[in-house]
Amino acid sequence: MTSAFSKAAQERIPGIIARYAEKRGALLPLLWLAQEEQGYVSEEAMKEIAGWLDLTPPQVYETVTFYTMYNRRPIGKYHIQVCRSLMCALVGTDNLLGWIHAKLGIKTGQTTPDGLFTLSQVECLGSCGTGPMMQINDDYYERLTQDKTNRVLDDVKREGKCPLATGPFMFPEPAQK
Amino acid sequence: MAEMVTILIDGKPIEVEKGTLVIEAARRIGVMIPHFCYHPKLKPDANCRMCLVEVEKMPKLQTSCSTVVAEGMVVRTNTPVVDEAHKSVLEFILANHPLDCPICDQGGRCDLQDFSHRYTPTGSQFTDTKRVYEKGFFSPLIEKEMNRCVSCLRCVRYCDEIMDVKALANAARSTMTEIVHFAGHPLDCEFCGGCVQICPVGAITSRLSMYEFRPWMMKRADTTCGYCGDGCSLILETRGEKVIEVMSSHGNGRNNGDLCAKGFFGYQYVNHEDRLTTPLVRQADGNLHPVTWDEVLPVLAERLTQIKLAHGADAIGGLISARCTNEDLYLFQKFMRLAIGSNHLDSTARYGHVNAARALRRVQGTNRWTVSYEDIVQADALLLIGTQVTAANPIVGLKVKEAVKKHGATLLTLETLVPSIETTSNITNLSALHVAVPPGRHAAAVRGLVKAAFDENLVDAALSSRAGDYVSRIRAAATALPYPEGLDEAALRAVAKAFAGARRGVILIGQDLLQAPGGHESAVNLLDFLLLLGKLTQPGWGLAPLTEENNEQGAVEMGATAEYLPGPADVGDAAARTQIAGAWKDQPPASQGMHLLEMLDAARAGTLKAMLIVGENPVRSLPLSAKAASALEKLDLLVVQELFLTETAKLADVVLPACSYAEKTGTFTNSEGFVQKVRPGLEPVGDSRPDWEILSSLSVMMGYPLEYGDAKEILKEIRAVIPGYRVLGAKPEPAQVAAKSVEQYLTRGFAEDLPARYSAGAAPKANSHRWALAVGQTLFHSGAMSTKAQGLLELQHEGKLIMNPADAQRLGIADGDRVRLTSTSGEATVPVTMLGRIPEGTLFFPESFREALAGLPSMTPDPVTGVPYCKQLRVSVDKVGTGGASSGPPPARIAGGK
Ligand code: SF4
Ligand code: SF4
Ligand code: SF4
Ligand code: FES
Ligand code: FES
Repeated sequence: MTSAFSKAAQERIPGIIARYAEKRGALLPLLWLAQEEQGYVSEEAMKEIAGWLDLTPPQVYETVTFYTMYNRRPIGKYHIQVCRSLMCALVGTDNLLGWIHAKLGIKTGQTTPDGLFTLSQVECLGSCGTGPMMQINDDYYERLTQDKTNRVLDDVKREGKCPLATGPFMFPEPAQK
Repeated sequence: MAEMVTILIDGKPIEVEKGTLVIEAARRIGVMIPHFCYHPKLKPDANCRMCLVEVEKMPKLQTSCSTVVAEGMVVRTNTPVVDEAHKSVLEFILANHPLDCPICDQGGRCDLQDFSHRYTPTGSQFTDTKRVYEKGFFSPLIEKEMNRCVSCLRCVRYCDEIMDVKALANAARSTMTEIVHFAGHPLDCEFCGGCVQICPVGAITSRLSMYEFRPWMMKRADTTCGYCGDGCSLILETRGEKVIEVMSSHGNGRNNGDLCAKGFFGYQYVNHEDRLTTPLVRQADGNLHPVTWDEVLPVLAERLTQIKLAHGADAIGGLISARCTNEDLYLFQKFMRLAIGSNHLDSTARYGHVNAARALRRVQGTNRWTVSYEDIVQADALLLIGTQVTAANPIVGLKVKEAVKKHGATLLTLETLVPSIETTSNITNLSALHVAVPPGRHAAAVRGLVKAAFDENLVDAALSSRAGDYVSRIRAAATALPYPEGLDEAALRAVAKAFAGARRGVILIGQDLLQAPGGHESAVNLLDFLLLLGKLTQPGWGLAPLTEENNEQGAVEMGATAEYLPGPADVGDAAARTQIAGAWKDQPPASQGMHLLEMLDAARAGTLKAMLIVGENPVRSLPLSAKAASALEKLDLLVVQELFLTETAKLADVVLPACSYAEKTGTFTNSEGFVQKVRPGLEPVGDSRPDWEILSSLSVMMGYPLEYGDAKEILKEIRAVIPGYRVLGAKPEPAQVAAKSVEQYLTRGFAEDLPARYSAGAAPKANSHRWALAVGQTLFHSGAMSTKAQGLLELQHEGKLIMNPADAQRLGIADGDRVRLTSTSGEATVPVTMLGRIPEGTLFFPESFREALAGLPSMTPDPVTGVPYCKQLRVSVDKVGTGGASSGPPPARIAGGK
């Protein structure tokens, strides 16, 4: 049967489940794996995960909806997450959103017609001293100005990454990149 | 004795068991602490904060729903501080709750309304706009209005903790928390209605009664469900001539307030427009025409008398449905035996329950359970054999779930289903040990269990010394057989071992075992198993057959079968005959009665001339190959008492309209032998009459008056005649194993049919049809009645063949495709759907839609008990059509829905 997970991803699943005393414990990492695979957590993926963990699909869905970091709809190839919490807001979240809109023509929740960029607003990303900031996929971009923002977006669009990146800060670190 | 502690609530001392919650202790002295999320059935969640109280020496207010009493605790529930806290919780809830009480079905029985009234908040500090959820279609039967939700999560917890269905999700977070099914899809679940009933506000309501009532407009009748043998107490809420809704109340009845889809949503057949409202008589033109009771009864009495005079009483037979009340059943057999003078009578207990009843009587001397539902809940090992418990006996299913989930019982299952998590619960998901038993192989599995008792050295030493001959002969017979082919031997042995090692264990058996060849022998063999383990006479242990229809147990006990007089006592039992003759002031006929299949044969042969059929439809219940219709057509006179013009009624010369259970007074006896009241919620529909009343009037006209003022007078006679009905307690008293019977069985009784009981049985005839098809109960239907209940039709309106998804994939079959099934006796074309719980190689078809199978099943009668076996067959499967084609259009949407 077709799966929402690639062969390689499927092979990682037993290992992930084995890390937890209770199967259910593997729910968040498996959802994350699904998101890595498809860019979002599809219904198919939720059902498959439910099957592995002896949960019902509604139980998986409930967890997915609790966390803002799981996308329930397909998103652009590059997910721009702009921090809107207090520190960043004071130093220019609104400006940053405006610059992105000027550059890409999208507002929060929208995706560019070419399917490359999706814009979201999120709560504090832990770079409160270096706002305004945004995260694009796994990379942070801090102390943003309009020029810097334009450059980041151009680079990412062209090459998928930008040397101005200051991340990723991930734990546990992804297996290998 | 539980340890007690004394606490002070609002100055009043109360002594309660250790571990009691403060909110419960308060309730006991009449102090109702307001609450939303607390429910005595559910684990405390303490999420709503409504139940705050002051506890001396604790710095902050405590949630009384999660605080356990402690010796000397001083609790105050009505101080200004507490009141203030309650008010502010309400204020928070009302910040979002809409003011739509005028159109809310909960209005008048809503906790939020009641508490708001109690605290009379007049203003709010909140000026924000209220949250609004987008309204979508939730399900055909259950309506959701999330704007009203107080996020107490009772519904979610009920669906998980009690039902083990887990169909509801608490999606999103904070203010926008919302109760949804998977990914916002329409609800797909067991539709037990539990979430509707447990929601403290109007956020989850029934669509069947939407906008139809205010609670105080309805009349309530406390009665007993007429579907299955679990015997749930329920409340019919009626207005005028219509049942508006069904409810139950927590703590009440054997079901403790839980119901299943049939009980909660299956009531509308009572008011179905096709109900028969007048007697019908076949007239010269060959058609049935309406007549009055005054016209029909004398003529009918005369014809019955004529036939009796011309051909003898033995030319008349009777058949009654075990859905009737005890009073109907009792009067039916008395009418047949005295007014007619014939022992040729039977009930639908013949379709399977007779197998169990006869086995139990033979070995333990009582046909009743020696355990009760409480024993199921308290057992530490439960062995389920062929029960399909969730579908056939949902509330017993809940008892099993409770035993496993709350008390850690070890669940052992010998079932056709295999574990698989889906949108309805699956008892095998909770099994500690599961043996997958294909349809028709349960009898073999039981023989394997008995063999395992020897191979695993589980036989009680005391029994071996007391009844050495019995033990050695059973050993010789059982161990001579190989373990059944295709069943997991190691698992079977492990099951026997686990069960034998329990402190208290109950064996539950159901239709897959009892309605299959070897059903009767298997029941006896399981009693062997319990005897061998030394457990049969131990308290808390027993064999518990589950009944498909609500009053099969009553049918046997009322003597409404060929072999039994009321009691039940054997028809040939001299002492019982003398006793009953004393009560009846007349002798019951001495002849050996014919059971159902024998009566049909006699009708075909022309020796049976007339039949009286009450509430049963053998033309539909038996497969075509039984040729019931042609047999009935040969009768000179066929009388049918019915709710609807069934296939059988259509053949009748006289059709008499009968009342449904919702219009009757009487009693039902559930699987565990508990006698419960049936009370009318409605006046009889049209000119219909209770079955007993029809029979009583007929007897008068036939010059053998069996007159009773009302059903209660019949019950009085029943109580005088039948030992188990003398004292009708508030709780079932499990029967006792009669030592004399066991002794008799151990010394001689066991030997009569020993070879037959422990033979490998006729190997399933090899033929080219390789699929095993089982016809059985589903959650949403029972018999044909449920197919007249609009609510249940909304859930399932046609019979779909269910197969394992892997099988379907192999055959290239998608949901909704049609397949042709071929058996040795015929063929049928049906739509297909898939479920992982149906094992590969096996097919399942819902019994309530069996007419779609037409000539497919063949029938084998049990050589001893005459039970017709027709629910397991072998078929071939061929795909014939693709794509959602379904037979007939879906039923019309229910009015009132959006
Ligand atoms: S099974 Fe369905 S009806 Fe029953 S509680 Fe769960 S969601 Fe509600
Ligand atoms: S729907 Fe009812 S039971 Fe469920 S959380 Fe909301 S208020 Fe509570
Ligand atoms: S059908 Fe059985 S389980 Fe369901 S409500 Fe009626 S008696 Fe209870
Ligand atoms: S406030 Fe923006 S990163 Fe912390
Ligand atoms: S009832 Fe106690 S917190 Fe909800």
